[in-house]
Formats: sequence, C-alpha cells, structure tokens
Amino acid sequence: MISFEPTEDQKLIAGTVSDFAKATLAPRAREFEKAQAIAEDARKAVHEMGLSLAAVPEALGGQGLGLLTAVMINEELAYGDPAAPFGLPGFGSYLIAVQELGSEEQAKELLAPFADPSAHDTFGAVAWSEKKPNRERAGFVTTAKKAGGGWELTGAKAFVGNADLAKSLIVFAQVDAAAGWNGIGAFVVRKDNPGLRIAGRHKTLGLDCGHFGEIVLESAKVSDTDRLDGRGDFAAACTRFFAKYSLIVAARQVGLARLAFDVSREYCDIRKAFGKPIGHFQAIAFTLADRHMDADSARELTRRAAWAWDSGKEPAQCLLYTAQAVAHAHQVAMRCADDAVQLHGGAGFMRDVIVEKLMRDAKQMALAGATAEQMDQLAAAVELGIPLDPALVLPTPETQAVLT
Amino acid sequence: MIDFELNTQQRMLKEALHDMGKSVIRPQSLGWDRKKTIDPDFLRNFYMMSQALRGENNPMEDFNEGPKNRDPSKPVQTNRTAAVGAEELAWADASIMLSLPGPGLGGPPVRATGTPEQKERFFSIFRDMSTELRWGAYGLTEPGAGSDVGAIRTSCKKDGDAYILNGRKCYITMGGRASWVVIFATVDPALGRAGHRAFVVEKGTPGFFVGKIEEKMGLRANETAELVLEDCRVPAANLLGGEEKYQSKEGFMTAMKTFDSTRPLVAAMACGIGRAAYEYARDFVKDNYVLGRPIPRYSAIAERLARTGRQLEAARMLTWKAVWMADQHMPNAKEASMSKALAGQAAINACIEAIEICGAHGSLSEDHALLEKWFRDIKVYDIFEGTGQIQRIVISKRLLTDLKAF
Repeated sequence: MISFEPTEDQKLIAGTVSDFAKATLAPRAREFEKAQAIAEDARKAVHEMGLSLAAVPEALGGQGLGLLTAVMINEELAYGDPAAPFGLPGFGSYLIAVQELGSEEQAKELLAPFADPSAHDTFGAVAWSEKKPNRERAGFVTTAKKAGGGWELTGAKAFVGNADLAKSLIVFAQVDAAAGWNGIGAFVVRKDNPGLRIAGRHKTLGLDCGHFGEIVLESAKVSDTDRLDGRGDFAAACTRFFAKYSLIVAARQVGLARLAFDVSREYCDIRKAFGKPIGHFQAIAFTLADRHMDADSARELTRRAAWAWDSGKEPAQCLLYTAQAVAHAHQVAMRCADDAVQLHGGAGFMRDVIVEKLMRDAKQMALAGATAEQMDQLAAAVELGIPLDPALVLPTPETQAVLT
Repeated sequence: MIDFELNTQQRMLKEALHDMGKSVIRPQSLGWDRKKTIDPDFLRNFYMMSQALRGENNPMEDFNEGPKNRDPSKPVQTNRTAAVGAEELAWADASIMLSLPGPGLGGPPVRATGTPEQKERFFSIFRDMSTELRWGAYGLTEPGAGSDVGAIRTSCKKDGDAYILNGRKCYITMGGRASWVVIFATVDPALGRAGHRAFVVEKGTPGFFVGKIEEKMGLRANETAELVLEDCRVPAANLLGGEEKYQSKEGFMTAMKTFDSTRPLVAAMACGIGRAAYEYARDFVKDNYVLGRPIPRYSAIAERLARTGRQLEAARMLTWKAVWMADQHMPNAKEASMSKALAGQAAINACIEAIEICGAHGSLSEDHALLEKWFRDIKVYDIFEGTGQIQRIVISKRLLTDLKAF
C-alpha cells in the first residue's frame, strides 16, 4: 500500500538524530571544518546514540533496522552538518563493504569493534580508487599476489576516506591480471601491517572533516582469511556495495539539499530589497519552489530505493531505483546549494554564512561513492538489459575517480 | 510504514488498463487523433466494462461524487487508485481520460459545494449510462481570464427566482457535449473573488450555446469548446451551494478546491505520457543501436535515457505523495502543485528527449507516429489546470512568510 509515513520507531530515531544534529553538529560545523576533524566529544556523543550498526542485520550483530532507517539517520545527520557523517566512525563505506563482500563470519568479526563502548575512535576505510588508470591492461595497478599461505599487496590507493584514522582497511587489488575488472579482489589490511604506509592527506574542495588520503602498500602481507570474496559473486557484491554506499551518500545529499533550501528560504523572508522581502519577487520565489520540489522528490527517491532493498526486491529493481535516487540526489543537492549561494548574493560568498560550505560539500559529495554519471550508466544498463559488466557499472579509475 | 507497493486493487487496475492499452487502445489512438474524436462505441464499451470491473468499488465514482457512507476521518485509497489508473490510461492514450463519460472536472465543485439536493440532481444522470453517455464540464477560463481567474467577466444578475448570465467561456473540455457545465460568473467584477458565483448550467437552457470547437496542437481526440451565454436564464436552484455559501470569497475557493484533488491526477497522466515516450525510446535503442560495441555516442544516449527516466520517477514520487496526503485528508494544495509542476516538466522533457534519441525516425509521422503524437499531446500538461508558473505561485506562497500576492 503506497504510504509515505515512517514507522513510529523510525520517527523516533530520525527525530532524535535530527535534534542532536541541529543542537550539536550544526553550530560546530565551521569548527570541524577548520580542525579538519570531528572533535572527540562530538564523536563520543554520536557513538552514544548507538546508531552505527542500526542497519546491520541482527545476525551480524547489528540492530537490523534496515537501509531505510540508515537513510533517514544519514539525512538527519547531514541536515546538521553535511560533512560530519564523513568524519564520524561507523557510518561510512567500510561497514557496507564488510557486509556485502565478507562472509557472515568475517562480517561479524569486522563489525564487532564498532559496537564497542570506545568505538568513537574506531574508523574503517575502503581503499578503492587509484590516481591513474592502468595503461597496460584493464584493472587496478595495485596487485595481490599469492605468497606463502596468504597474499602480498603492492601498489598505491587514493581518495580513501579516513585513511589516516582507520584501524582496518578494505583494499581492492588485482588478483588475476588477465581477467581485467573481473579479476579484482578485496582484502582486509590492518593498521599495524608493516607493509601499509599512510602517504598523506588530500586537500579537498569540501567535506574538510573527512580525512581523505592516500595509502601505499609495500609487499603488505595478509592472510588468506583476510580476503573477502563477495560470497561467490564478487562483481555483483561490488556493485551492491557501491549501490548501497552511494545511496547512503545520496541521503546525505538530501539532508544538504534540505538545509540549503531552509537557510535560503529564511533569508528570502528577511532580506529586503526595493522595499519588500526578496522572496516576494517571483524570480526568487519560483527558484525556491523549484528547489523545494527538488529536495522533496530526491528524499522520496532515496527512501524508495532503500525500501526496495529492505523488502527484498529483485537485484535489478533495487539497482535501478538506487541509481535513479543517487543520480537525482547529487544533481538536486548541487542545484540547491548553488541557488542557496546565489540567493544570498554577495553574503553567500562569505564564510560567515554556511551556504558557501554547502556548495563545496555538495560538489565534493557528488564524487563520493558512484557519481551521477556512473549511476546513469548503471540505470541505463539495467533498463536496456545489458549485462552488468563490472567495467561498465563500477566506478573504476578508467571512468571517473571517486572517493570512498 | 513507508511503502511503494500498489495494493491488490491498484495492481489489478494497472494491469488491466495496461493490457487493454497495449492491445486495444494504442492501435486506435492515431485514428482518433486524426478523426478528432474517440470512437463512441469504444467509449461506451470501455465505460461499461470499467463499471463491471469496478463493481461496488468504483474509485472514479468515489472521486467524482465523494465517498458514500464512509467515515471522513478514516483514510481512503481513492486518490491513490485514481492516480495509478490515470497514469496507465494516459500511457495508452492521452485523450481518453479527459473524454471519459461522467461529470469530469465539473464533479469536484459540485461535490465540494453542492447542496444534497443538487448533488443528487446533477450526479444522478451519470448512474445509468447504458443507453446514452453523458458528460459534465467545468467552465472557468475566458478569453480575457486564464491564470488570473479573478478577472472573469461573465456576469450574473439576480432576476426573481433565476440569474441572468452573460459572457463567454473558452477551452472547455467536453464543453460541446456536456449535459451540464459548472459556470463561474461574477455579480460585480469590482468585488473580485468575493463576487464570484458557481452555477450549474444545463444543456439546452435558452441563451446557452456552444461556440467554436478548437483545433489543437495535441489531445486532438478530446473536445475543447467555446461556450456562449447570452441572457441565459439559470434557475437560482442551480447556484451551487445556495446564496448563503457566497457571503465570503467562497465562490472562488470552490473553483480552487477543484484543483487540489485534480492536479495530482493531471500529474499522473503526464507521468503516463512521459513514460510511454521514455519506454518507446528505450526499446528503440535496444532494437536499433549496437550496444555491444563501445561507440562513444552510446554512453551519451544511455545518460539521456537514464536522466529522462529518473526525472519521471521523481515526478511520480511527488504525485504519489500528493494523492497519499489527499487520502489521509491532509491539506495538500502545495504538494498537489508540486506534483503537477514537476510532472509537466519531466514529461515534456521525456517526449522531447525520446524524439531526439530516436533520431530522424522520431519525427516521422508514419513509422513512429505515436512518438510524434505524444510530443504534441504533452505540452498542454504544463498549461491546463494551472500553468507551471501558477503552480510555482501556489507553492511559493506556502513557503514564504506573509506572501499574499506578487
């Protein structure tokens, strides 16, 4: 039955997160930006809400509330400070990668630290992208070679969120050089691995509190049990990982879009020109109306995609809904943030007002997970019945580099 | 619980309309467009069949007349079901929905404002149409008053137990064949909206004529008429709601109330036409492009298709939300306008893109004539029942503080 009404539990959770985000994250957004990190007390406060594993199935030690609830949580966090979820432990790509790529046993083990009382410092990271495409063959430059009873990883990874903070990283590497994008694998590399080196932090356009950086792997040895094989179909698992992570990012874009819209609306009510509030001019009011339609439709599309995953729809259906939601949310957020700066005029360009940060964050976020362009290709592939070749549907370095 | 699944009745309605749309309606659609009318036999059969299909549970009847014996505080499914049906029927042919027998757009104002006696009198003629099809219509627009409905000049003067109406109405859907038309008139233009009155003017009333039947860009199978009132004497009993209804600006509100419930349906129809064009282009790409080969043009086409598809999905979300709110009896004027504004835009874009994607094929009215027809049909969806600009006025008045008018 078509319904837009969240459950009582979802309302309660979203309400709690919303209150927290407005009271704690929003006023400190500039502080986090300047420090390029989320302060420890704020991370503790978020962790105490106990929401990191909300969407993780109960069988894996989570709360089993589903992706829809996670989408709502991320939207509300982002409404406080859209950059914050990228600098908080427990909400990022790592948790999803572990669930989609690992076996039940691996997932349980790797997720357990996030439920720990001290987990406000427990970061994980996903190392997917590389700075340059491989010109010799399809696939990653970084390789994983059989060595002894395990694997040896060599190469470099870039655009890795929380690279310097992560206690554990999921590193993607080429296992079978001849198999191109069908020959990649994923490995758990722990911080204390002597072959792992944090190579530096990227200076970014936005999302300053997210620690995006590079890592170098110098014959980093991992055991065979540290390989995540996607429970049989690795390419499908990778596609699911990017779909779900991108959907979470899309939910944050929805939060950003709503925030940009609300800030603009308030400004258009009070800022006067030619003797009346600027919102009373059609050029301004219509812009607001358009952005309101944008934010609202993006929100419902993200919710529908999450609903499809949660209700066990066919994978193709879930991927299509997700791709549509993600691509729409990225474009919507950018439009809302752009117009927020525009409607503020010169004031919007100054750092006293939050909107310039929203615009930088929106663009940066559009490159986290799969991009709108990549998602459009995925949607078209599903719709046209083209086989979901990983070279086509994954955000490989051959297409458009992405942050994870 | 958030849910996007159709219920059983909606799914059955959608499937039935889809099957019929594909095998019966679409093959006739171009013929109707050229003949500028829907075959009356088809319309009768379609109507009788839909009555039989729906039985006791007739969503369109609910929609037009309002729920019977239902607790108004309890949520209904009517608007959601109507939106699902409207989209699917428009997917098959845009003109049918607007040509269906019944009170049409005239239904909502009679339902919202009519006295029990008036509702019985004006709706009863639609209960049995087994021998003759009948229509109602809605007459608001005038040559000098479109979006600015406050500017209507059709006059009404009390004269004993009747009103004398004078004026012209234009662009009236099914106006030429309607058994009655809800005509909006003013007692005094200086009073603005407070001076408005809504009358049910019956066919054959002396002084009530059908003027010209319009030639249109699209929706050509659907009749659009001009109506003329010359010293037309309408019984006071046909003043919707009776005199006391009009102490305030209620008359105008009657006109506007119609749209809160119909705008999402127009949005749903637009989604249906846009989807038809999108699916056509998608299937054309499947059949005609060499997808296995990495031609650069392909990814550009794929992106266009995907963008078109998701914009329609975004519009459908707002449409469903607006009808869901209506079913919960929540005020939805803003959401109704949002759905229509977005759907009109998305569907027009879909029709334009579909032609572009098909290349020169798309513009030929022989091989791909439906595509060419949808392109012509869709434009008016961003115009009638409030242009895209009017929707943005409705929306922004509900976003900004103390914005009464621009």
